[in-house]
Amino acid sequence: MKIFRSHILICGGTACRASGSVAVRQALNHEIARRGITNEAQVVETGCNGFCAAGPVITIYPEGTFYQYVTVDDVPEIIEEHIIKGRPVERLMYREPETEKPIPHVKDIPFFGKQKLIVLKNRGIIDAEKIDEYIARDGYLGVAKALTEMTPDEVIEEVKKSGIRGRGGAGFPAGLKWTFARRAKGDVKYMLCNADEGDPGAFMDRSVLEADPHAVLEGLIIGAYAIGAHQSYIYCRAEYPLAIRRLNVAIAQAKDYGLLGEDILGSGFDLNIDIYQGAGAFVCGEETALMASIEGRRGMPRPRPPFPANQGLWDKPSVLNNVETLANIPQIILNGGDWYASIGNERCKGTKVFALTGDVNNVGLVEVPMGTPIGDIIFDIGGGIQGGKKFKAAQLGGPSGGCIPAEGLNTPTDYEEITKMGAIMGSGGLIVMDEDTCMVDTARFFMEFCQEESCGKCTLGREGTKRMLEILTGICNSQGKEGDIELLEDLAATIKDGALCGLGQTAPNPVLSTIRYFRDEYEAHIYDKKCPAAVCSAFFKSPCQHACPVEMDVPAYIALVRAGRVDDAYKILKRTNPFPGVCGRVCPQFCANKCRRGQLDEPMAIAWLKRYITDNGSRPNVEPVKVTREEKIAIIGSGPAGLTAAQDLAKRGYKVEVFEDLPKAGGMMRYGIPEYRLPREVLDIEIGDIKALGVEIKINTRVGKDISWDELKNTYDHIVIAIGAHKSWKLDIEGEDIDGVIGAVEFLRAVNLGKTIDVGNHVAIIGGGNSAIDAARTSLRNGAGEVTILYRRERKDMPAQAVEIDAALEEGVNIEYLVAPTRIIAEGGKIKGIECKKMALGEFDRSGRRRPSFIDGSEFTLDVDTVIPAISQGADTSFIPEDAEISIKRDRFEVVGRNGTMTTADGIFVAGDAASGPATVVEAISQGHKAARDLDSYIRGKNNEPPYKAPSEERIDIPFEVDEETEEQPRGSMPDLPVTERAGNFKEVEKGYTKEIAYKEACRCLRCDAEIE
Amino acid sequence: MQITVDGKELEFNPGQTIYEVAKENNIHIPVLCHYEQVKPIGACRVCVVEVERARTLIPSCCTPAEDGMVVYTNTNRVLKSRKLTVELLISMGHHNCMTCESNRDCVLQDLAYEMGIEMPRFEEPKERKPIEDANSMIIRDMNKCVLCGLCVRVCQEIQVNNILDYSGRGPRSTVGPAFNMSLEEAGCKFCGACIQACPVGALSFKQGRFGGRTWEVQKVQTTCPHCGVGCQIELWVKDGKIKRVYGVEEDNTENKGQICVKSRFGLDFVHSPERLTRPLIKKDGKFKEASWDEALDLVVTNFRKIKKEYGSDALGGIASSKSTNEECYLFQKFIRSCLGTNNVDFCTRFCHTPSAVALSRAFGGGAMTNSMRLVEKADVVLIAGLNFTEMCSTIGALTKHLVQFGNLKLIVVDPRGVEIADYAKVWLRPNIGTDIAWANGMMNVIINEDLYDHDFVEKRTEKFNELKKLVSKYTPEKVEEITGIPKEEIIETARLYAKADKASVLYGMGVTQHIYGTDNVSALCNLALLTGNVGKEGTGVNTIAKQNNGQGAGDMGCLPPIYPGGQPISDPKVNKKFEEAWGVKLSMKPGVTESDMVINKGKIKGLYVVGGNPMRSGPNLNNIRKVLEDMTFIVVQDMFLSETAQVADVVLPACSFAEKDGTFTNTARLIQRVRKAIDPIGESKPDWEIICELSKRMGYEMSYTHPREIMNEIASLVPPYGGVSYERLEDGGLRWPCPNKDHPGTLYLWKDKFNTKTGKGFFFPADYNPPAELPDKSYPFVFTTGKDLCHLHTGSYTRHSAALLELSPEDLLAINPLDAQGLDVKNGDKVKVSSRRGEIKINVRITDRVPKGTVFSTLHSSEIPVNVLTIDTLDPLAKTPELKICAVNIKAV
Repeated sequence: MKIFRSHILICGGTACRASGSVAVRQALNHEIARRGITNEAQVVETGCNGFCAAGPVITIYPEGTFYQYVTVDDVPEIIEEHIIKGRPVERLMYREPETEKPIPHVKDIPFFGKQKLIVLKNRGIIDAEKIDEYIARDGYLGVAKALTEMTPDEVIEEVKKSGIRGRGGAGFPAGLKWTFARRAKGDVKYMLCNADEGDPGAFMDRSVLEADPHAVLEGLIIGAYAIGAHQSYIYCRAEYPLAIRRLNVAIAQAKDYGLLGEDILGSGFDLNIDIYQGAGAFVCGEETALMASIEGRRGMPRPRPPFPANQGLWDKPSVLNNVETLANIPQIILNGGDWYASIGNERCKGTKVFALTGDVNNVGLVEVPMGTPIGDIIFDIGGGIQGGKKFKAAQLGGPSGGCIPAEGLNTPTDYEEITKMGAIMGSGGLIVMDEDTCMVDTARFFMEFCQEESCGKCTLGREGTKRMLEILTGICNSQGKEGDIELLEDLAATIKDGALCGLGQTAPNPVLSTIRYFRDEYEAHIYDKKCPAAVCSAFFKSPCQHACPVEMDVPAYIALVRAGRVDDAYKILKRTNPFPGVCGRVCPQFCANKCRRGQLDEPMAIAWLKRYITDNGSRPNVEPVKVTREEKIAIIGSGPAGLTAAQDLAKRGYKVEVFEDLPKAGGMMRYGIPEYRLPREVLDIEIGDIKALGVEIKINTRVGKDISWDELKNTYDHIVIAIGAHKSWKLDIEGEDIDGVIGAVEFLRAVNLGKTIDVGNHVAIIGGGNSAIDAARTSLRNGAGEVTILYRRERKDMPAQAVEIDAALEEGVNIEYLVAPTRIIAEGGKIKGIECKKMALGEFDRSGRRRPSFIDGSEFTLDVDTVIPAISQGADTSFIPEDAEISIKRDRFEVVGRNGTMTTADGIFVAGDAASGPATVVEAISQGHKAARDLDSYIRGKNNEPPYKAPSEERIDIPFEVDEETEEQPRGSMPDLPVTERAGNFKEVEKGYTKEIAYKEACRCLRCDAEIE
Repeated sequence: MQITVDGKELEFNPGQTIYEVAKENNIHIPVLCHYEQVKPIGACRVCVVEVERARTLIPSCCTPAEDGMVVYTNTNRVLKSRKLTVELLISMGHHNCMTCESNRDCVLQDLAYEMGIEMPRFEEPKERKPIEDANSMIIRDMNKCVLCGLCVRVCQEIQVNNILDYSGRGPRSTVGPAFNMSLEEAGCKFCGACIQACPVGALSFKQGRFGGRTWEVQKVQTTCPHCGVGCQIELWVKDGKIKRVYGVEEDNTENKGQICVKSRFGLDFVHSPERLTRPLIKKDGKFKEASWDEALDLVVTNFRKIKKEYGSDALGGIASSKSTNEECYLFQKFIRSCLGTNNVDFCTRFCHTPSAVALSRAFGGGAMTNSMRLVEKADVVLIAGLNFTEMCSTIGALTKHLVQFGNLKLIVVDPRGVEIADYAKVWLRPNIGTDIAWANGMMNVIINEDLYDHDFVEKRTEKFNELKKLVSKYTPEKVEEITGIPKEEIIETARLYAKADKASVLYGMGVTQHIYGTDNVSALCNLALLTGNVGKEGTGVNTIAKQNNGQGAGDMGCLPPIYPGGQPISDPKVNKKFEEAWGVKLSMKPGVTESDMVINKGKIKGLYVVGGNPMRSGPNLNNIRKVLEDMTFIVVQDMFLSETAQVADVVLPACSFAEKDGTFTNTARLIQRVRKAIDPIGESKPDWEIICELSKRMGYEMSYTHPREIMNEIASLVPPYGGVSYERLEDGGLRWPCPNKDHPGTLYLWKDKFNTKTGKGFFFPADYNPPAELPDKSYPFVFTTGKDLCHLHTGSYTRHSAALLELSPEDLLAINPLDAQGLDVKNGDKVKVSSRRGEIKINVRITDRVPKGTVFSTLHSSEIPVNVLTIDTLDPLAKTPELKICAVNIKAV
C-alpha cells in the first residue's frame, strides 16, 4: 500500500456535494497534479462528515486541520500554504462563535468534540466505496466473530445484553424482535433494512448509507444469521441515489470478498441482499406498509397482529430494523453487549444520531450518548440559535413528533422522557425553531405533511388529519373560532387512540404538544386575531406593523419618507402613537425583529426613520376636543400609558384629569430614560399635544397624599391607574440597606430631578437590563471614575438592547459576566466593597437560558463606593387602601380576563408597567390605548350605547415604489456624538438621520405589505 | 379458550376475531368495512373496542381473540371514538338520503342513527365529484363513498378481476379503476359484486335508479336462468318489473352471493319490447297476431293431420334446456303419451350428449360427478376445452380466488388462451382436436412412472389392461408430434395430476363438440379412474353444461331412448310403469334425435320446438333451413321470435323464468326453485300451461293447477328425484340422487360403487383420430366457435338485454396477429369468412389468445349466422356435430 505524506479528506455527502464539494475535489486533484506532488498528497472523498452547515468541508491529516466553506478558489492556497509550506490557512478555519477565534484542530471544534461516535465512527474518515478502508477500521470483524465463534442464540443474547432499542422510532428492543423471529416457525425468513427515511429534516440514515454502507450490510448479515434468514432487502427511497449507488458498490465488493452470497467466510451461512427502491411514501416507513410495498402492492399498513416477526414479508417471519440500529450491531458483537450498555442512561443504551436542523448555527448530524439533554445538543454542539434570536422550541421526531419548548431543554434524549414531554424520539430529527416561528403554523405544517402522506386507508388517519388540518388552516387564516382548540384536542385524542398505524397515531403529536406549551399562541390567533410571531400573513398587511404593539403603519410612513412627503408621514405616525418622537429614540423595535429585510441583510432602521420624520416634518396641528360626555375620568400617572389613555378618552369627548406626583409629566420617559437618549424638549412637545386636546395634568399631586383615594373615587366616575413601576426590587443580600445602595430607578429619577448624587469613584451596578445600562452611563456622566456592571449570566443573555450595551462599553463601562453579589461590605455606615462570587451555568431554566449557580470558593471583593441594584422594578401601590378590593400581586395590578385592562375592582382600569411589570414605552402606549378603549366600551355597554365610532381620517395616498432589483445593503448607520464629546454631559448621543441617509434607508423597504394581485 | 366481553365470559375457537365472538354471543359491535367473505382490514375504525392493557383502542373485526383477553365494547372512550369516526365518515362526502337508492339499507345511515349524530361537527366538502353513470349498469357516486374498500376487496379477492383499487393518497384517496379510467375502459366485467358489497349508496344499479326503494319492493328468491351454475338470486320487483338483482349470500347456494353480469344486469330481457305477447300465425309467409284459441286449434289440426297421414313417428319435439324441469317433464310426456312417439330430444344434442354417453358407459350415469364448489376441495383441477371464467363466471372467479389466495393448482388445456389459463400452473396448448392424444399421453406417463392408483384400479375398475395396452403407444414423443405440446409439459402435467391428493377434471364443449366427442370424454374418464379420482369430494369428471337446465331436461327424459330418470324405454317394466302412471299405451319404438330431425332430412313432417333454436345453434345452417322448410308444420314456443321461430308456422308466446314457478337442475345435479316474481307479460303463458292446454285440445287431459303437482308426479316416477318436493326446496336446493323424503341429497357420485352392471368403472380406451375437416390450401384456417361472458343460449335471451348488448354488441373474429399481418387486416376490419358450406362477413379482433392458423368467433349476433360455416358431421354415438372444427378461408373485404 502506498503511503502519502498528506491525506486531504473531502466530504462527499449529499449536502457538501450540493454546496460544491465535487468541484473542490477535482480542483484539489488538479492542483496536486499541477504541483507534481501526487506521490505526497492524496485526496480522499469520504461520506458525510456531519458538519453540513459549513460545507464543503475538508480535513487534512495527519494534522487534523479542519477547513470550512472551501471553494475552488481556495484550493491553490491550501496546496501552496498548507501542503507544501506547512502553514495552515487560518482564514478557512472554524471560528468560535463568541470570540471569533480560529480553531485549527478538528477535535477542538465543539461540534465534533462533544459527540460520541459509534454509528458514525467512520464518517469523514474512510472512502465509502472502498471495502478495504472499512475493513481497516475493524470492518466485518463483527460478522467474522458472529459466524465463526457464536451461535445464533449467542448473537441474540449479546444484542439483548447491549439493550439496544430500535432506532427507527418506536424504541422496541432489537434483541427481543430477533428472538421472536428466530422462534417463529418457517424455513423462509427475511431480514430487512428500513432505509425509507421520510421525516422532513432527518437525514441520518442517508448519511450512514453514504458514509459507511458496509456497516449496514454487516449489521444485516449478523441479523440474518441470528434469525435464520437467507434473503435480505434494503428498502431505500429512490430519492437517495448516492446512497443506493454506494450500497450497490458495497454489496458487489462484499460479494467479491466472500462476505455475502453463499458460504460466507466459509461458515456455511448464505445470505443475499437486494435493494428495493421505494417511491418515497412516508407511510412506507411503517413496517407493514413497507413490506406490502416490497411485495409490489400499494404501501398501506395492515393491522397487527399478526406481527411481522411471525408473518411479515410474503407472510414469512421477518425482522425489520432501521439503518442506524443495524449500523450499531457490528460494534455490539465486536465489543460486547456490556460495553454498549455502559453508554447511555438507565433505560436507553448506546448513542443516538440526531439530524440537527432549523434555526441553529451548526446544522448537521450529531451522535451523542443516550440521555444527553436536548439543550446540550442545541446549544453546545449546535452552537445555539442563528442570528442571536431566542430559542422557541425544538421539534423532535419529525411530523409525528412534538415540540419541546424552552422549559424542556433539560429533557434527556431518552425514549420515555421525550414521550413524557409530548414528543417522540422518532428517527432523530431535531428541528430547532427560534422566536420567529409561529407554533400554530408549525403544527399546521406538520399536519399538512401527515395528512398528505396518510395512506388513505383508515378513517381517522385520512379524515381525522384532514379535519385537523382544516381547523389549523382556519386558525392560521384568521378564521379561528371559539371551540377550535377543544375540537382539535378532541380529534387529536381520538386519532391517537384509534388510528390504524403509527403514522396516524402520532400525527396529532405536533398539535397536542403545541397546544400544551403554546396554548396562548392559539388563543392569540383565535381571540386576538394576532399571530405573535408575525408569520401567519392573513392577520396583517406587514409583519412590522403586526409586531408593533400599537400597530403603527410602518410601510406607509417609510414609503412617504421615500417619496419625500415627511409631513404626511408625521400624520401617519400620530394616528397610532402620541409619542413618535420618543419612540423614534428609545423603542426596542419589535417591528424590526420581524422585518423581512432582516432575512436578506439587516432589518430596516424603523425607529430611526420615525425619528427622522419627527425631526424634519411639520407637526400636525392639534385642535382641542369638546367635552361631550358626562363621565369624568381620573388618570393616575402621566407616563406613556396614562397620557395615551388620557388622549384617547379626551378624543372621545370625556373630561380627563391626570394626577402626577412628580413636578413634570412624562413618567419614566422623563425620570427613567436619561436625557442623552431622549432630549426633554421632544417629550415636552408631544405631551403638549395631549394637553392641547383639553387634558388637564395636575402635577405634584400624589394620590393618597395630596388627594385621598376616596375623594378621587367620589369626584370621578372612573379611574385609570397608570403609575408605572418606579420602585426598584431589592437584591436580598446582606448590607443592602446601607447608605450608598440606591435602586436604579430611584437613582435615575433623582438625577433627572436635577438632584446631585455623589456616586463616589467606583460604582457597581447589578443587572443586565436597560436600566442597568442607563444607570451605568448616567453614573459615568455623574463623575464616577469607574463603573462595573455585574451580570450573573453571559452577554448573549442580557435583556438590554445590544446598541445600548455597545455604547456603554464604548464609553468605558466594565461588564463582568457570570458574577453575582453575595454581600455588601460596609465600614462605618459606608460602603467599602461588594463581595461577589463567580457563577457557573448549569441546567436550562424556563426562559431557555442556562441557570447560573455559585461556584464554591470563587469569592472575590470589589472595592466600590456605590451599589446600584438594577434587577427589576415594581409599582408602588401603597396608595391603594386595603378595602379597595383591588388585587395586587408581586407589585403588579391584576387584571380581569384575557388581555384585559380592568382591575379586579369594577370600573377601575389599569395600564402600563403597573399592570405588566417593567416593559417598554411602546407597550405602555399600547396599554393606554387599550385601557381607554376598554373603559369607553365599558361605559357605553352600561348605558346601552352603540360602540364608539372614530371620526373619519384624512385620506393619505401611500405611494408604491420599489426597486426592480434588491441588492444587499446594510442599514443606514446613525451619526452620533464621538465618545469624547459625550463625557460628563447629557447631550443627545444620536444625531439623527440626514435626508440622504433617510431616503436611502427608506428605499431598503421591501414593501412586504403590498398585495399582489 | 375464554375471553371476557363486557363482563361476560365467552368461549371461543382459536382464530376467531373479537367481533366474531361478540356477534356469536349477541353482543353488538357496529361495523362498516367488514364483510365475512373478504379479509378484514380494520380500515373504518367503527368497530373499535377497549382491550385491557392495550395502549390504543383495538379494531375488533381484525383482532384475534386471545385467551384471557378482557374487552369492553361500550365504554365512553369507545363510544366517543366511534361517534367521531362516524362524524368524519359522514362529512367525507355528500349524503342525500332523500333520493339515495340505499336509503334504509345503508350502514352509514344506521351508524349515524345509532350514534345519535344530528349533524356532524365538520362541513361537507365544497366540491362535488361528478357522478359516473355513462354505462347502463353501474352508477358510481364517489360523493357517497366512505372508502371502506369493500368494492376493492370483492373485486380483488372474490372476483379476482382487479379492476378496482385505491388510488391517490391521504385526503385524495379514492377507489376505482386505475388512472381514473371508466369501468368500461378498465375492462370491468360488470359482475356488480361491488354494488352488492357497497354498504352505502356510492355504487348503485342504474337500471333500478328511482325504481323503488328497499321497503317498497317485493324481494323474490329464484334461480338465475342463464348458465348451468344455477346461481341463487334475489329479484327486487316493483310494479311488475325487475329493478335490481342481488346474489343470495347463503351457504347452501353454489354462488354464495356472487353472480355475473348476465344475472346482475342481463335480466332486463324479461322486459324487452321484443317479447312476444300474442300467438302468431304465419299466413302467406308473414306472421299475424292471433288469439290463443286460433293458434292452438291450428296446431291441433295440423298435428292430427300429420299423425293421421304419416303416423305418430312423423311428429317430433325438441325441448329446451331453458324450461323448468316440470315443463320438460310435461313436454316429453306430451310427445310420448299424446303424440305417441319417442321422437323427443333437446338442444344438448348439439353440445353435451357425448358426456352423457361416455359417462354412462364408464360410470353408469351421465351427470357431473361432483358439485360446482368442488374446486374448494381439490388440490389440482384440470380444465379442458372450457372457457371457465366466461362460461361459469361465479365458479370461475372462485377458482381464480383459490389459485390466488389458496393452494389450488390448475392445469388448463385449451388451444385458446382463455382467461383461466392466466391462472394455470401449466397451460397445455394442443393443436385443436387432439384431446385424446394428450390424455393418452398423460396416462402413458402415469402408468410408466407407476403413479396410478393400484388399489383403485384393482378394486373398482374393469378393462385396465386394454387401457394399458392402448396408451403404451402414446409416448410423450408421439404425443408431442400429434398435439404440438412439448413432451416435457406432458410429463410435468401427468405428474402434477397424478400426484395430487384430490384431482378433478372440468371440461366443456371444447371436448364434446367433435366427431369423437364421446371418446374424448372417455379419455378423461380413463384418466380419473386410473388415478382414483372418482367417488371423492374435490375429484371426478365434471361436465360443465352451459345451460341453466341442461341437466334437468335430460333428467326429465327429453331424450329419445329414455324416460325421465334415465329409465330406458326398451325396458318393458319401465314401459309398463309409465303406461300405468300416464294412463295411455306408450310406444317402445326408439325415437330419433334432434340431429335426425333437423340435420338429416328424414321422416319428420311436424315439429314442436319449445325454446330451442337449431337455426342458430346447429351446424351448417343452410342445410338445416332446407330441412325445416321441407317440413309440413312447425310450431315454435318461445319468448322471442328466434331464427327457428321465424321458419315456424305458428309461434306461441312463452313466459320468462320470472313469470312462473318451477325448478331448474343445475349442471351439478342441484335442484333449485324458480319462483314467480311477476305476472306474465302480455298474453304469454308458462310453457307448462301451454303444453297442458295443447294436450287437452289434442284429447289427452293434463290438468295441473301448479307446477308443484307436476313435481310430485315426477317424484313418484323418477327415483333420483324421489325425495324432492317444493316444501323441501324452500330451504335450498336438493342434489340428486335424492331417492326419498329423508335423503339429504348427494354431494358427489360413485362413492362406493358405480352404476354399471358389475358395479365397477369401465375404461374405454380410445385412439386418436383426426377431425372431419382439416385446413387445406383452399380453406387454410381452422375455424372454431364459443361463447363470451355476456351471451349464451344462442343469445336468445341475452341479445335482448340492453346491458349485455352494450358490453358485447357483436360477434368478432379473433385472429392471431401473425395471421392478421398475413391477411393485411387491422382491428375492426371486415373480412369474409367462407367454408365449403357458406360464408359470413365479420369484423376482426386481433389477439394472440388464438393460436396462429386458428380463428375464433362467438355465435350470438343474429346479423352474422356464424354456423353457416360449421360442418355437420356427427359423432357416431352421440350424434353431436363437430361444431368446434371446420376449415375456412378468410379474405379482407
